[in-house]
Amino acid sequence: MFEVKKLRVKYKNSVNDAVCGVSFRLEKGAFTGLVGESGSGKSTIVTASLGLLPDGARTEGEILFKGQNILNMSEDKLRVLRWKEIALVPQGALNSFTPVITIGRHIIEVLKTHLNMDGKVADKKIDCLLEEVGLEASIKRRYPHELSGGQKQRAAIALALACSPSLLFADEPTTALDVVSQSGILKLLERLSKEKGLTVLLITHDLPVAATLCEKLLVMKNGLLVEEGSPKEIIRNPKDPHTKALVEAIL
Amino acid sequence: MSSKWFLRRLFSSIAVLAAVLVLNFLLFRVMPGDAVSTIIDPSFSPEAKELLRELYGLDKPLKEQFFIYIKQMLTFKFGLSFLSRRPVWEELLSRLPSTLILMSLSMFFSSVLGIWLGIKAALNRGKKLEKLVLRLGAITASFPGFFVQLVLLMLLARTFPLFPLRGSLSVPPPTEATAIVIDYIWHMALPVISLTLMGFGGWALYVRNLMVRVLGEDYVLMARARGLSEKRVVYGHSFRTILPPILTILLMSVPGLVSGAVITESVFSLYGIGTFLLEAVSGHDYPSAGAAFYLLALITIISNLFADIIYGLADPRVRIEGKNQ
Amino acid sequence: MMALLKRKSIISFIIIALVGAFLPFFLEGHPSDSVGAPFARPIFWNLKLPASTYFDITENKLEFEWKKFPPAIFSLAGKIEAEPDKTVVISWNTPQKSYVLAELTGQEFYWINMDGRDMIFKQALDLPLIGKSVDHLFPEKGKYSITVEGATFSELKLSLPGKRQGLLGTDQRGRDVFRLLIYGIRTSLLVGISATIIATVLGLGFGLLAGYSGGLIDSLIMRTVDILLSIPTLPILMVLAGIWGKGLWQLVLILSIFSWMGTARSVRSLILTVRESAWVEGLKALGAKKSYILRRHLISETAPILLANIALGVPGAILSEASLAFLGLSDPRLISWGRMLHEAHSFGAFTEGAWWLLLPPGIGIVILCLIFMDIGRYLEELIDPRLGSDKNV
Repeated sequence: MFEVKKLRVKYKNSVNDAVCGVSFRLEKGAFTGLVGESGSGKSTIVTASLGLLPDGARTEGEILFKGQNILNMSEDKLRVLRWKEIALVPQGALNSFTPVITIGRHIIEVLKTHLNMDGKVADKKIDCLLEEVGLEASIKRRYPHELSGGQKQRAAIALALACSPSLLFADEPTTALDVVSQSGILKLLERLSKEKGLTVLLITHDLPVAATLCEKLLVMKNGLLVEEGSPKEIIRNPKDPHTKALVEAIL
Repeated sequence: MSSKWFLRRLFSSIAVLAAVLVLNFLLFRVMPGDAVSTIIDPSFSPEAKELLRELYGLDKPLKEQFFIYIKQMLTFKFGLSFLSRRPVWEELLSRLPSTLILMSLSMFFSSVLGIWLGIKAALNRGKKLEKLVLRLGAITASFPGFFVQLVLLMLLARTFPLFPLRGSLSVPPPTEATAIVIDYIWHMALPVISLTLMGFGGWALYVRNLMVRVLGEDYVLMARARGLSEKRVVYGHSFRTILPPILTILLMSVPGLVSGAVITESVFSLYGIGTFLLEAVSGHDYPSAGAAFYLLALITIISNLFADIIYGLADPRVRIEGKNQ
Repeated sequence: MMALLKRKSIISFIIIALVGAFLPFFLEGHPSDSVGAPFARPIFWNLKLPASTYFDITENKLEFEWKKFPPAIFSLAGKIEAEPDKTVVISWNTPQKSYVLAELTGQEFYWINMDGRDMIFKQALDLPLIGKSVDHLFPEKGKYSITVEGATFSELKLSLPGKRQGLLGTDQRGRDVFRLLIYGIRTSLLVGISATIIATVLGLGFGLLAGYSGGLIDSLIMRTVDILLSIPTLPILMVLAGIWGKGLWQLVLILSIFSWMGTARSVRSLILTVRESAWVEGLKALGAKKSYILRRHLISETAPILLANIALGVPGAILSEASLAFLGLSDPRLISWGRMLHEAHSFGAFTEGAWWLLLPPGIGIVILCLIFMDIGRYLEELIDPRLGSDKNV
């Protein structure tokens, strides 16, 4: 249901392509991992999929979501798609919440915009969402700076799931968290994906983590897709020398 | 809202007020010459002077005088004006509305216009509008205000007689209520317009800079990623975030506003506290001068405190952490 | 250094300072002298109006053509010698009619001093008391003459101050605006620069004290700064000017007392960052005394910022002085641009539409402010790279 076809992305002031001809597919309900170092182009794919590339960025190829090409969509159509169909748990959740607005208000905003939910119904839904990610209902009255890193991450997940999207991008959801919180978040993502039949793309630089959780792995390096397959396949037969080195480092 | 934080702000304001009161007291009583003649009109008869001397407690030691003075200041009993022989408080009260209206109207219009232009400029980066706003901001920020006002007065009241040359109301004032209001507006138009023109540039520049910074932040991108309308992203998230520093500047602009109002009232010969202070100071009418200054300082302190409170309401980070930005 | 001198604003400043300092020596007379009619326009404005004309009457007769509108003032002065038994008659002859200006008899010597604005003059000539006599004395274009009959010797001067006068016109007392403008340069520069220097010295002193002492002294000074900043500036300046006097140096002092706070704050924060830095610790470890550190290193660190602060502070001081003068709270005998604006405002320039009393001093103030702000910004640019880099011994 989500397909990237020969995607090329070049940012305005840079010499090289950020993404140079990447193609892959995500089936419904799949839990896929997109692994690569910083600068490999993984975050660019996410940004492009939401239609949020900065001004002046040039693209080639297609990003198809349920048959429609995101790169060609008008801003109005994109807005309908965003969050309701495709949601994002951003990198580190450091700066993804507006500092002067409570967590609850963040959630109500999207509920109102996309689901036309209001008042008590919305309030109940918020409590529900927070509970699902393991947070107390009182969190909804807190401001972002009052939450710990782990709490913010969980809240970001709750926010992402608010409108029951079909596709979820989880961009480095465990960076800057301690090991205990990390495993908590990952387990949470896994469970939610299974329960709701969510298609998840986990973006990370951490190969072991991705290998543990994901059914399929995509490895990127310098804007190119260098490996594609199940974790077992890749670890046994890494095609790319770099992946080889990574695998050897783990084992 | 943390009460500790609010108490700290209140305390700070009271400290300033105390300093102003002491300053006022010392200024007028430690003057060269007969200190008494700063409070009691020297041209009064000796009997009247005696009576007033008792009333003001001027025969008592300095410390007691100070307490009496404090009591008077806090109850707004300022004595009689040397020039008009009327109670100073009456004079001040009759002029207070004019000054407050001038200050609040000009603050409102210049900030609203400036903020709106600043946002528009930030949203239109690189285009003509932004460049125009930047240039206007730089020019108006550095121009001496009262000269602009004098030029406007000459241009729009004499060369092209569109507005009155002086006064808050025509002489003689119209009798009917609506006519009075219109006449008043006609007289206040140039002062308010000139103050707005002088003030909006700085606002536009400042807001544009803030907005440009905020619009580049991650959380604004995330707000867009959540499919919120552009309007929501700009106003509900971006502008909402820069509201606290905007309020800070609003706070910091009040003392300047007071000074600006004093000059403006002089240029346009308005009937306000500024002109009252000027007449009192020029005419050595010490009771009036001291009281007018005290009132202006009070306005400044109260608006500072008020704006401080609003800042705390707007930026939750300040209240809860108890820190000063 | 060369780049410094090439900057437009510095060149302008030097030119203006030199003009303000030396041009007055080349100008005749004192600026407070009246040179012509009140509210005369600049010489280049409205050429239909007459410029000032002066005639010496030597042979008991004067004839001339008058082509323009009436002058501003009609004034005849001088001396006449005659035999006591003869009657001296001075007449003024216009194309329309003749007026007898004076009929004098019985003396050997007469002083003549007539001014067309005097009531007595108007009465003597049967002219309406309200309105200008010059309008009647100069009814139209044509030939005009003065005749003196019956005198043995006369030395008279006919002064017709015109409605156009001088490079920049005259003010309500007939003083030459151009001269006032030039003399005003000194005041603005003197007050602006000295007030700012004193304020900067105060700010430096308090800032150093607060930053280096810390603790109670620091809190005390900072508290004072906060309080002083919360007091509305212009009102307190007005009160102080009114109470302590309007003289030049009192003004400078008053202005300094209320402008040192900004400098103190920046100096203090700079000291605080420097104080914590490693190399000062190193110096202390080597046994250097506090005063040594203070004198040699900290002051040299703050010097560049102070220079920029001075340049940026001068416009504020100039404006404050101009504002106070505009309100009438400066020495009336002192020529200042603010005072010129005050007199323009209070003595009828607006009713007269006398823009030449408004624009020159105002634009002068604006130009000075722009110059100093540009110099300040330039100095800041020079300093900035140094501020960014870490200090090394």
